[in-house]
Amino acid sequence: MAWQGPAARLTYGVRVLLRNGADTSVVGTGEVTGPMETGLRLGVHSDSTDVDMLLNTFPEPDSFTLSGDFVATRLAGASRRGLPVYEQDEYRRHRRLAWTDTVRLHPFGTPRARARRELWVELRVTTAAAGGITRPSERVDLRDSTFDLTLEAVARPRRATVLLALVRGDAGSVPLQVDLVPDGIPRTLDLAVDPALPHHFELRLTPPEPARTARERALALDADVVCLRLNEPGSTTAANVLCGRLNNVARRLALPGGDTLVATFVWPAAR
Amino acid sequence: MSDHERWAREIEVELDGDLTLAEQAALARHVAVCPTCAGTRASHLELRASLARASGHPRAKIIPRQVLRGRTLALLTLLAALAGAGGGWLAHARWGGPGSGGLEASRATIDIR
Repeated sequence: MAWQGPAARLTYGVRVLLRNGADTSVVGTGEVTGPMETGLRLGVHSDSTDVDMLLNTFPEPDSFTLSGDFVATRLAGASRRGLPVYEQDEYRRHRRLAWTDTVRLHPFGTPRARARRELWVELRVTTAAAGGITRPSERVDLRDSTFDLTLEAVARPRRATVLLALVRGDAGSVPLQVDLVPDGIPRTLDLAVDPALPHHFELRLTPPEPARTARERALALDADVVCLRLNEPGSTTAANVLCGRLNNVARRLALPGGDTLVATFVWPAAR
Repeated sequence: MSDHERWAREIEVELDGDLTLAEQAALARHVAVCPTCAGTRASHLELRASLARASGHPRAKIIPRQVLRGRTLALLTLLAALAGAGGGWLAHARWGGPGSGGLEASRATIDIR
Protein backbone atom coordinates (compact mmCIF):
# COMPACT_ATOMS: atom_id res chain seq x y z
CA MET A 1 0.00 0.00 0.00
CA ALA A 2 1.57 3.28 -1.07
CA TRP A 3 1.95 6.26 1.18
CA GLN A 4 -1.23 8.30 0.57
CA GLY A 5 -1.03 10.94 3.29
CA PRO A 6 -0.04 14.59 2.94
CA ALA A 7 3.49 15.36 1.72
CA ALA A 8 5.81 14.35 4.52
CA ARG A 9 9.48 14.19 5.19
CA LEU A 10 11.24 11.16 6.56
CA THR A 11 14.03 11.39 9.12
CA TYR A 12 16.45 8.66 10.22
CA GLY A 13 17.99 9.50 13.58
CA VAL A 14 21.13 7.40 14.15
CA ARG A 15 23.21 6.83 17.26
CA VAL A 16 26.13 4.38 17.26
CA LEU A 17 27.08 3.05 20.69
CA LEU A 18 29.98 0.95 21.92
CA ARG A 19 29.93 -1.03 25.15
CA ASN A 20 33.37 -1.90 26.47
CA GLY A 21 32.98 -3.89 29.67
CA ALA A 22 30.66 -1.87 31.89
CA ASP A 23 31.22 1.41 30.03
CA THR A 24 29.02 2.46 27.16
CA SER A 25 30.06 5.37 24.96
CA VAL A 26 28.62 7.08 21.92
CA VAL A 27 30.79 6.45 18.86
CA GLY A 28 28.85 8.81 16.62
CA THR A 29 25.50 10.33 15.87
CA GLY A 30 23.85 11.46 12.70
CA GLU A 31 20.66 12.26 10.92
CA VAL A 32 19.45 11.77 7.39
CA THR A 33 16.29 13.40 6.17
CA GLY A 34 14.52 13.63 2.85
CA PRO A 35 11.35 12.81 0.94
CA MET A 36 9.37 9.76 2.04
CA GLU A 37 11.17 7.48 -0.41
CA THR A 38 14.58 8.43 1.00
CA GLY A 39 16.79 5.58 2.07
CA LEU A 40 19.68 5.59 4.50
CA ARG A 41 23.05 4.28 3.38
CA LEU A 42 24.96 3.53 6.55
CA GLY A 43 28.51 2.26 6.78
CA VAL A 44 30.27 1.03 9.90
CA HIS A 45 33.92 0.18 9.37
CA SER A 46 36.27 -1.40 11.90
CA ASP A 47 39.82 -2.70 11.49
CA SER A 48 38.66 -6.08 10.23
CA THR A 49 35.08 -5.65 9.03
CA ASP A 50 33.26 -3.20 6.79
CA VAL A 51 29.48 -3.31 6.93
CA ASP A 52 27.54 -1.15 4.48
CA MET A 53 23.79 -1.20 4.42
CA LEU A 54 20.97 0.47 2.60
CA LEU A 55 17.91 0.87 4.81
CA ASN A 56 14.54 1.69 3.28
CA THR A 57 11.14 2.18 4.83
CA PHE A 58 7.83 1.05 3.45
CA PRO A 59 5.20 3.04 5.39
CA GLU A 60 1.75 1.84 6.30
CA PRO A 61 -0.83 3.83 8.28
CA ASP A 62 0.07 2.51 11.72
CA SER A 63 3.49 0.98 11.12
CA PHE A 64 6.26 0.60 8.64
CA THR A 65 8.55 -2.10 7.37
CA LEU A 66 12.25 -1.49 7.64
CA SER A 67 14.17 -3.27 4.92
CA GLY A 68 17.92 -3.50 4.86
CA ASP A 69 20.30 -4.64 2.13
CA PHE A 70 23.63 -5.48 3.72
CA VAL A 71 27.07 -5.84 2.17
CA ALA A 72 29.70 -7.01 4.64
CA THR A 73 33.40 -7.34 3.89
CA ARG A 74 35.25 -9.29 6.56
CA LEU A 75 38.97 -9.95 6.89
CA ALA A 76 39.29 -13.72 6.54
CA GLY A 77 43.07 -14.13 6.71
CA ALA A 78 46.06 -13.64 4.47
CA SER A 79 47.18 -15.08 1.19
CA ARG A 80 50.35 -17.14 0.74
CA ARG A 81 52.05 -13.93 -0.31
CA GLY A 82 51.00 -12.18 2.89
CA LEU A 83 48.24 -10.05 1.42
CA PRO A 84 44.91 -9.74 3.26
CA VAL A 85 42.05 -11.93 2.06
CA TYR A 86 38.49 -10.72 2.55
CA GLU A 87 35.12 -12.43 2.31
CA GLN A 88 32.16 -10.47 0.99
CA ASP A 89 28.68 -11.28 2.16
CA GLU A 90 25.41 -9.86 0.85
CA TYR A 91 22.07 -10.42 2.48
CA ARG A 92 18.78 -8.77 3.30
CA ARG A 93 16.82 -8.22 6.49
CA HIS A 94 13.21 -7.05 7.06
CA ARG A 95 11.44 -5.98 10.21
CA ARG A 96 7.95 -4.57 10.72
CA LEU A 97 7.95 -1.77 13.29
CA ALA A 98 5.67 0.73 14.95
CA TRP A 99 6.49 4.40 14.34
CA THR A 100 7.38 4.80 18.00
CA ASP A 101 9.87 1.92 18.03
CA THR A 102 13.58 2.42 18.41
CA VAL A 103 15.54 -0.14 16.45
CA ARG A 104 18.73 -1.69 17.74
CA LEU A 105 20.83 -2.89 14.85
CA HIS A 106 23.89 -5.06 15.45
CA PRO A 107 25.99 -4.61 12.29
CA PHE A 108 28.58 -7.24 13.26
CA GLY A 109 25.99 -9.79 14.41
CA THR A 110 24.42 -10.42 17.79
CA PRO A 111 27.27 -10.48 20.32
CA ARG A 112 27.93 -13.56 22.45
CA ALA A 113 26.52 -13.57 25.97
CA ARG A 114 29.87 -12.84 27.66
CA ALA A 115 31.32 -10.52 25.02
CA ARG A 116 33.16 -7.55 26.52
CA ARG A 117 32.81 -5.36 23.44
CA GLU A 118 29.56 -4.74 21.67
CA LEU A 119 28.75 -2.18 19.03
CA TRP A 120 25.23 -1.38 17.94
CA VAL A 121 23.28 1.25 16.04
CA GLU A 122 20.17 2.82 17.50
CA LEU A 123 17.83 3.94 14.78
CA ARG A 124 14.68 6.01 15.07
CA VAL A 125 12.51 6.73 12.04
CA THR A 126 10.14 9.70 12.21
CA THR A 127 8.06 11.72 9.78
CA ALA A 128 7.20 15.42 9.69
CA ALA A 129 5.55 17.86 7.31
CA ALA A 130 7.64 18.43 4.20
CA GLY A 131 7.69 22.21 4.40
CA GLY A 132 8.62 22.60 0.76
CA ILE A 133 12.06 20.99 1.16
CA THR A 134 12.81 18.68 -1.74
CA ARG A 135 16.41 17.63 -1.44
CA PRO A 136 17.71 15.13 1.10
CA SER A 137 20.16 16.27 3.73
CA GLU A 138 22.52 14.47 6.07
CA ARG A 139 24.57 15.19 9.18
CA VAL A 140 27.10 13.00 10.92
CA ASP A 141 29.16 13.57 14.06
CA LEU A 142 31.89 10.98 14.68
CA ARG A 143 33.32 10.96 18.20
CA ASP A 144 35.49 7.80 18.18
CA SER A 145 38.14 7.67 15.47
CA THR A 146 38.70 3.90 15.86
CA PHE A 147 35.48 3.38 13.91
CA ASP A 148 34.59 4.91 10.61
CA LEU A 149 30.95 5.85 10.29
CA THR A 150 29.30 7.07 7.10
CA LEU A 151 25.72 8.22 6.66
CA GLU A 152 24.26 9.14 3.32
CA ALA A 153 20.79 9.96 2.14
CA VAL A 154 19.72 7.90 -0.84
CA ALA A 155 16.94 9.34 -2.94
CA ARG A 156 16.25 8.94 -6.61
CA PRO A 157 15.46 12.41 -7.95
CA ARG A 158 11.93 12.99 -9.15
CA ARG A 159 13.27 15.88 -11.17
CA ALA A 160 16.63 17.51 -11.64
CA THR A 161 17.84 20.98 -12.53
CA VAL A 162 20.36 21.09 -15.35
CA LEU A 163 22.48 24.19 -15.95
CA LEU A 164 23.65 24.32 -19.54
CA ALA A 165 26.11 26.48 -21.39
CA LEU A 166 27.98 26.24 -24.64
CA VAL A 167 31.64 27.31 -24.78
CA ARG A 168 34.22 27.71 -27.49
CA GLY A 169 37.63 28.89 -26.42
CA ASP A 170 37.12 31.88 -24.16
CA ALA A 171 33.65 32.66 -25.49
CA GLY A 172 30.49 31.21 -23.98
CA SER A 173 26.75 31.24 -24.48
CA VAL A 174 24.22 32.62 -22.05
CA PRO A 175 23.73 29.87 -19.40
CA LEU A 176 20.33 28.24 -19.33
CA GLN A 177 18.63 26.42 -16.49
CA VAL A 178 16.09 23.70 -17.21
CA ASP A 179 14.11 21.44 -14.91
CA LEU A 180 13.82 17.93 -16.28
CA VAL A 181 12.01 14.81 -15.11
CA PRO A 182 13.81 11.47 -15.58
CA ASP A 183 12.13 9.57 -18.41
CA GLY A 184 9.96 12.64 -18.99
CA ILE A 185 9.00 14.51 -22.14
CA PRO A 186 12.00 15.77 -24.17
CA ARG A 187 12.68 19.50 -24.15
CA THR A 188 14.12 21.57 -26.97
CA LEU A 189 16.31 24.62 -26.54
CA ASP A 190 18.73 26.81 -28.43
CA LEU A 191 22.27 27.56 -27.32
CA ALA A 192 24.71 29.68 -29.25
CA VAL A 193 28.21 31.00 -28.77
CA ASP A 194 27.80 32.94 -31.98
CA PRO A 195 24.19 34.23 -32.21
CA ALA A 196 24.33 33.78 -35.95
CA LEU A 197 24.96 30.02 -35.57
CA PRO A 198 22.61 28.67 -32.88
CA HIS A 199 22.54 24.98 -31.89
CA HIS A 200 19.10 23.41 -31.58
CA PHE A 201 19.10 20.67 -28.96
CA GLU A 202 16.54 18.10 -27.91
CA LEU A 203 17.18 17.14 -24.28
CA ARG A 204 15.97 14.14 -22.38
CA LEU A 205 16.86 12.99 -18.88
CA THR A 206 17.10 9.24 -18.25
CA PRO A 207 18.18 7.03 -15.37
CA PRO A 208 21.66 5.50 -15.73
CA GLU A 209 22.34 2.02 -17.02
CA PRO A 210 21.73 -0.74 -14.45
CA ALA A 211 24.54 -1.11 -11.94
CA ARG A 212 27.18 -3.63 -12.95
CA THR A 213 28.08 -5.14 -9.60
CA ALA A 214 25.87 -6.68 -6.94
CA ARG A 215 27.34 -4.29 -4.34
CA GLU A 216 26.41 -1.25 -6.41
CA ARG A 217 22.89 -2.64 -6.89
CA ALA A 218 22.41 -3.53 -3.21
CA LEU A 219 23.61 -0.15 -1.95
CA ALA A 220 22.00 1.84 -4.81
CA LEU A 221 25.26 3.66 -5.40
CA ASP A 222 23.87 5.20 -8.58
CA ALA A 223 20.66 6.52 -7.00
CA ASP A 224 21.44 10.19 -7.64
CA VAL A 225 22.96 9.68 -11.07
CA VAL A 226 21.10 10.97 -14.11
CA CYS A 227 22.00 10.88 -17.77
CA LEU A 228 21.39 13.73 -20.16
CA ARG A 229 20.76 12.59 -23.72
CA LEU A 230 20.89 15.32 -26.29
CA ASN A 231 20.69 15.32 -30.04
CA GLU A 232 20.24 17.95 -32.64
CA PRO A 233 16.98 17.45 -34.60
CA GLY A 234 17.72 16.47 -38.14
CA SER A 235 21.18 15.23 -37.26
CA THR A 236 22.05 11.70 -38.29
CA THR A 237 24.58 11.19 -35.50
CA ALA A 238 23.71 9.20 -32.40
CA ALA A 239 22.56 11.07 -29.29
CA ASN A 240 25.28 12.37 -27.01
CA VAL A 241 25.04 11.09 -23.44
CA LEU A 242 26.40 12.79 -20.34
CA CYS A 243 25.90 11.10 -16.97
CA GLY A 244 26.64 12.46 -13.53
CA ARG A 245 25.54 12.88 -9.95
CA LEU A 246 23.39 15.76 -8.77
CA ASN A 247 26.38 17.30 -7.06
CA ASN A 248 26.84 20.72 -8.68
CA VAL A 249 29.91 19.65 -10.67
CA ALA A 250 30.24 20.98 -14.21
CA ARG A 251 30.72 18.24 -16.80
CA ARG A 252 31.92 18.84 -20.32
CA LEU A 253 30.88 17.20 -23.54
CA ALA A 254 32.68 17.91 -26.80
CA LEU A 255 30.29 18.45 -29.69
CA PRO A 256 30.98 17.97 -33.40
CA GLY A 257 31.94 21.34 -34.81
CA GLY A 258 34.27 22.44 -32.03
CA ASP A 259 31.82 23.64 -29.35
CA THR A 260 31.77 22.16 -25.85
CA LEU A 261 28.58 21.73 -23.85
CA VAL A 262 28.97 22.28 -20.12
CA ALA A 263 26.21 20.65 -18.04
CA THR A 264 25.80 20.83 -14.29
CA PHE A 265 23.29 18.59 -12.49
CA VAL A 266 21.84 19.90 -9.23
CA TRP A 267 18.94 19.10 -6.96
CA PRO A 268 15.94 21.36 -7.72
CA ALA A 269 15.50 24.34 -5.45
CA ALA A 270 12.77 24.21 -2.80
CA ARG A 271 9.35 25.28 -3.99
CA MET B 1 55.03 -74.34 22.20
CA SER B 2 56.91 -77.46 21.17
CA ASP B 3 60.61 -77.96 21.77
CA HIS B 4 61.44 -77.43 18.08
CA GLU B 5 59.42 -74.23 17.94
CA ARG B 6 61.27 -72.89 20.98
CA TRP B 7 64.64 -73.69 19.36
CA ALA B 8 63.47 -72.18 16.08
CA ARG B 9 62.81 -68.87 17.97
CA GLU B 10 66.26 -69.14 19.50
CA ILE B 11 67.75 -69.61 16.00
CA GLU B 12 66.00 -66.42 14.80
CA VAL B 13 67.30 -64.48 17.78
CA GLU B 14 70.80 -65.88 17.19
CA LEU B 15 70.76 -64.80 13.55
CA ASP B 16 69.67 -61.33 14.67
CA GLY B 17 72.77 -61.28 16.88
CA ASP B 18 70.84 -60.99 20.13
CA LEU B 19 71.85 -64.19 21.92
CA THR B 20 74.30 -64.26 24.82
CA LEU B 21 77.35 -66.49 24.56
CA ALA B 22 75.80 -69.00 26.99
CA GLU B 23 72.59 -69.14 24.92
CA GLN B 24 74.64 -69.52 21.71
CA ALA B 25 76.53 -72.44 23.30
CA ALA B 26 73.25 -74.12 24.35
CA LEU B 27 71.84 -73.66 20.86
CA ALA B 28 75.00 -75.09 19.24
CA ARG B 29 74.83 -78.16 21.48
CA HIS B 30 71.16 -78.72 20.51
CA VAL B 31 71.68 -78.16 16.76
CA ALA B 32 74.57 -80.67 16.77
CA VAL B 33 72.20 -83.44 17.87
CA CYS B 34 68.91 -82.26 16.22
CA PRO B 35 68.78 -82.60 12.42
CA THR B 36 65.37 -80.77 12.30
CA CYS B 37 66.76 -77.69 14.05
CA ALA B 38 69.95 -77.85 11.96
CA GLY B 39 67.72 -77.81 8.84
CA THR B 40 65.68 -74.91 10.27
CA ARG B 41 68.84 -72.95 10.93
CA ALA B 42 70.10 -73.63 7.39
CA SER B 43 66.71 -72.51 5.93
CA HIS B 44 66.76 -69.28 7.94
CA LEU B 45 70.32 -68.56 6.85
CA GLU B 46 69.45 -69.20 3.18
CA LEU B 47 66.35 -66.98 3.45
CA ARG B 48 68.39 -64.16 4.97
CA ALA B 49 71.10 -64.56 2.36
CA SER B 50 68.43 -64.26 -0.37
CA LEU B 51 66.96 -61.15 1.26
CA ALA B 52 70.42 -59.59 1.55
CA ARG B 53 71.13 -60.27 -2.14
CA ALA B 54 67.72 -58.89 -3.16
CA SER B 55 68.33 -55.69 -1.22
CA GLY B 56 71.70 -55.18 -2.88
CA HIS B 57 73.88 -56.20 0.09
CA PRO B 58 75.15 -59.71 -0.76
CA ARG B 59 78.03 -59.39 1.73
CA ALA B 60 75.86 -58.28 4.67
CA LYS B 61 76.47 -60.11 7.95
CA ILE B 62 73.13 -59.46 9.54
CA ILE B 63 69.62 -58.30 8.54
CA PRO B 64 68.16 -56.32 11.41
CA ARG B 65 64.52 -56.88 12.19
CA GLN B 66 62.22 -53.88 11.75
CA VAL B 67 60.69 -53.71 15.16
CA LEU B 68 58.29 -50.94 16.18
CA ARG B 69 57.52 -51.33 19.82
CA GLY B 70 54.13 -50.19 21.10
CA ARG B 71 55.58 -47.29 23.07
CA THR B 72 57.57 -46.01 20.07
CA LEU B 73 54.50 -46.27 17.86
CA ALA B 74 52.40 -44.30 20.37
CA LEU B 75 55.11 -41.62 20.58
CA LEU B 76 55.32 -41.31 16.82
CA THR B 77 51.52 -41.07 16.54
CA LEU B 78 51.46 -38.34 19.18
CA LEU B 79 54.25 -36.41 17.43
CA ALA B 80 52.41 -36.68 14.10
CA ALA B 81 49.17 -35.44 15.68
CA LEU B 82 50.99 -32.52 17.35
CA ALA B 83 52.74 -31.63 14.10
CA GLY B 84 49.41 -31.69 12.25
CA ALA B 85 47.67 -29.55 14.87
CA GLY B 86 50.59 -27.11 15.02
CA GLY B 87 50.74 -26.85 11.25
CA GLY B 88 46.99 -26.25 11.08
CA TRP B 89 47.21 -23.57 13.76
CA LEU B 90 50.07 -21.83 11.95
CA ALA B 91 48.28 -22.07 8.61
CA HIS B 92 45.08 -20.63 10.11
CA ALA B 93 47.03 -17.80 11.75
CA ARG B 94 48.77 -17.04 8.47
CA TRP B 95 46.11 -17.65 5.87
CA GLY B 96 42.94 -17.66 7.92
CA GLY B 97 39.98 -19.87 7.44
CA PRO B 98 36.25 -19.83 7.06
CA GLY B 99 35.75 -18.13 10.43
CA SER B 100 35.24 -19.39 13.92
CA GLY B 101 31.47 -19.02 14.14
CA GLY B 102 28.59 -19.68 11.81
CA LEU B 103 27.87 -17.31 8.94
CA GLU B 104 24.49 -16.33 10.35
CA ALA B 105 26.08 -15.34 13.68
CA SER B 106 28.32 -12.82 11.90
CA ARG B 107 25.42 -11.17 10.06
CA ALA B 108 23.61 -8.05 11.17
CA THR B 109 20.40 -8.28 13.16
CA ILE B 110 17.55 -5.83 13.58
CA ASP B 111 15.96 -5.85 17.05
CA ILE B 112 13.37 -3.66 18.67
CA ARG B 113 14.54 -2.05 21.87
